[in-house]
Amino acid sequence: MPDPDGPSPSDQELLGRHVAGDADAFGELFRRHRDRLWAVALRTVCDPEEAADALQDAMVSAFRRAADFRGESAVTTWLHRIVVNASLDRLRRRAARPALSAGDEQAFEALVAQDGDPARAADTRLDVNAALQVLPPAQRAALVVVDMLGFSVADAAAILDISPGTVKSRCARARARLLPYVAHLQGNRSASESVQPAQGGDT
Amino acid sequence: MSAPVTHVDADALAEFRAGLITGRRGAKIAAHLASCDRCAALDGQLAGVSALLAAIPAPVVPGHVALRLDTVLAAEVASRNDPERARREPSPQTGVSARRTGSRRFRLPSPRVLTPVAAAAAVVLAAGGYGLSLLASGPGNQFAASSAGSAAKAAASPKGAASRAAAAVPSPLPVSGSHRMSLAGFAVVTSPADFQPAGLGQQVAAAITAAPAASLAQRTSPQLRACVQKVADGDGVIKVIIARYQGHPATIVVVRTGPGDEARVAGPDCSGTNPDVLNHTSLPSGI
Repeated sequence: MPDPDGPSPSDQELLGRHVAGDADAFGELFRRHRDRLWAVALRTVCDPEEAADALQDAMVSAFRRAADFRGESAVTTWLHRIVVNASLDRLRRRAARPALSAGDEQAFEALVAQDGDPARAADTRLDVNAALQVLPPAQRAALVVVDMLGFSVADAAAILDISPGTVKSRCARARARLLPYVAHLQGNRSASESVQPAQGGDT
Repeated sequence: MSAPVTHVDADALAEFRAGLITGRRGAKIAAHLASCDRCAALDGQLAGVSALLAAIPAPVVPGHVALRLDTVLAAEVASRNDPERARREPSPQTGVSARRTGSRRFRLPSPRVLTPVAAAAAVVLAAGGYGLSLLASGPGNQFAASSAGSAAKAAASPKGAASRAAAAVPSPLPVSGSHRMSLAGFAVVTSPADFQPAGLGQQVAAAITAAPAASLAQRTSPQLRACVQKVADGDGVIKVIIARYQGHPATIVVVRTGPGDEARVAGPDCSGTNPDVLNHTSLPSGI
């Protein structure tokens, strides 16, 4: 992704200064991308506390491993990759605990807002966030990076450390899986007619 | 999915849309979509999923998370860029490893959002710098250097600090006798933390380890010196943290008692005659 905040110095310059010992460079770099990195963490782990832990883990890791950055990708890609890895690590650790299991539709029922006013934007956001939790983590991470943050498939592949084909495949499966949970929200956004998705495969 | 005359399910459509189904099978799906309203609608809904997701605004880092990240980062910077501090704390228990453990579990309870503007810190300093001061300027003053960025981070509560400074009475209380050494040998640091009673000791310990890079150096005020002396009550003062306690300005005086270190939380009315101690807790040794 291009750096939206654009003024000099560039991300790469800041990282270089950090590696060279500049005490403030990393902070400036991290704050520049913090909201987007937070979005990745929050939407991947689906829990604010866990997301904060993941983002903190990632920040510390990036701070210490900055010298490992080889410049083969954009600095933002590198940062997002570290955050995604930290988030998935969190989820793996959490998976050992009997909490919400990914793909559990009962979990969705328990989480989705029930106040029945789908026209409100806040509800849409809540519903989407709840729906995301039915996805397996790997699919969710791919969908977040591509559809929610707008990374290209190629960048997403670098962030997720998978092939572009796998990015496409995970996103496709995630979209199909998500559809029943968010189809009712689309009425708020477009005038498309309501059609029941052909779930279960009728071919 | 293989029979072209039947409908296409969502999985296949999603893969088709992603360019994963090509060749003859892709052509069949394309042909089917052109002639089947139902599947075309489903295809539209799938397209809508991506559009819906893209339209959800990205969340902004909550203030307390930003604060926590800033604090942890400050500790990282201090650990890397402050060899003097590293020399002072060579023990693995009290050095980097302890700090890492503390910062990893560090939870700042305050929901307040900092204003990371260097000017805010300058205002506080101009207003008297009650909360942003360094009592001692002798050897071991590792907090003398502070960048503008960390100064801004230190300006956790400019309003509170400024009001305290304005309310402070300029009546220096002479440092005397056995207190002189302890008062001359500690540093005053600022912390953005808003300490809470539960887990106070852990919070203070974390703030101490995180504080150096977020500190400012300036001559202390006599009011602070008097307050600290009163709160210390003869015990050796190790550090003074200017922060908040349950939302209000507070001075945390860390003293070394017989069995170990103790943190005493003094409220806004702390002075040379009134310690205004709101809470106290023991600390792990070696902070």
